[in-house]
Amino acid sequence: MAEAVISKEEIMAVFPTVQNTMADALGCDVDDIKLDVSLIEGLDAESIDFLDMVFRLERAFKIKVPRGKIIEDVRGDMAVEDFEQNGVVTDKGLARLREYLSEIPEARFKTPLRVDHIARLYTPETFCKLVIRAQRAQAAG
Amino acid sequence: MILNIKAAAPPEAVTLPKSGRFSAFSFVDRIVLIDGVKLAKGVYTIPEQVSYFPVSLVAEALGQLAAWVAMSNCDFARRPVAALAGDTRIHAYPLPGDTLDLHVDIDSCDRDSIAYRGRAYVGDRLILELLDTLGSNLDIEIFDDPKALAEDFALLVGAGRAPGCFSGVPLPAVCVTERQTALRIDASLDVPDEADYFHDHFPRRPVFPATLLLDAQLQLAQSLIAEMPEFAQGLQVTRITNVKVRAFTSPGATLGIFAEVATPGEADPEPVLIKVGALAGSRTIAAAKIYFAPKARENA
Repeated sequence: MAEAVISKEEIMAVFPTVQNTMADALGCDVDDIKLDVSLIEGLDAESIDFLDMVFRLERAFKIKVPRGKIIEDVRGDMAVEDFEQNGVVTDKGLARLREYLSEIPEARFKTPLRVDHIARLYTPETFCKLVIRAQRAQAAG
Repeated sequence: MILNIKAAAPPEAVTLPKSGRFSAFSFVDRIVLIDGVKLAKGVYTIPEQVSYFPVSLVAEALGQLAAWVAMSNCDFARRPVAALAGDTRIHAYPLPGDTLDLHVDIDSCDRDSIAYRGRAYVGDRLILELLDTLGSNLDIEIFDDPKALAEDFALLVGAGRAPGCFSGVPLPAVCVTERQTALRIDASLDVPDEADYFHDHFPRRPVFPATLLLDAQLQLAQSLIAEMPEFAQGLQVTRITNVKVRAFTSPGATLGIFAEVATPGEADPEPVLIKVGALAGSRTIAAAKIYFAPKARENA
């Protein structure tokens, strides 16, 4: 899964808007939205909040982010059965996940990792990268 | 799969029992048009005998029409459950006996979510608009019987249901626990152990409807407004934004709810803002911003 590197400068360029958008969606202070805080474990985000955040980010950045985009991108061309077995991410899938979510410290990847627990890893930086990827895809037409 | 439906003259509608399934909390009597996954139109008549019909149920009717589109689009495998309503504009209040014409525009609908807008009219008069509304589509088997839903959908797009099945909802059981006059009210809301609407919402997993929770919060906000001498006369709710329900509330639960005066921002649409929320224990499970404006302006 070759992907152009996303630089820290690119991330910091979109972060203030992501930060404000997430604070609005979660009803918390802007200062609570640190780049590396876990959205679920650190800010009590629920699945409906993710839907809300993506919707707000789409509007704020005038981008389109298909639902389930993160998992879809992580898997890429990998077959579903190579990525997960009985709802648990395989070793191959984990390697792909670590690469894609490179902003997440290694210690937070607990195994076995259930597919429906992947969102527990997400941070505001994950969403900054999502925005940047969507902007790039849009620019590429 | 989704149908393309355009009804001619309505055939004879089907009458259902006064309470329970497809009657206690169902607010579409007939679907008159479904144009792919783009547009749907339906009708709902508020029964004459219902003395209390919260305006939030008009939003519920629009949400249910959108839900029929989402469910039929996936052969009743998924259904919208939790919802976000970014901006609800209330232009007028419907009366018992009024027939609501429901229009829903679907912006997107896939396996996981639906995004839509809606308008409800009585005759030519716009009653309520829903903008920026999102629903999470979840596995339908958890909540309901897909076969029963498919059959009810066939009824709605055919003969329709005879109006008048809905027999009303009880007033919310709200008990004020703390009051800071003209600033904030805290209260408890007792969700009943048993109510007809739980048979409809939803048969396999009863959930306290978000629109009834919103109505309880709205009443608390109105109590707060009544304590403000400068606003006590002649204000009504005209807009509700940022409605979000983050968790399911089961029968028998007790929630903490609150309403507090907030200062509208420069970009805010109306002069008076009350923030409301609901808590299960210490966890915030719902929130909204309720805007009030003088009655004369909206009814002019």
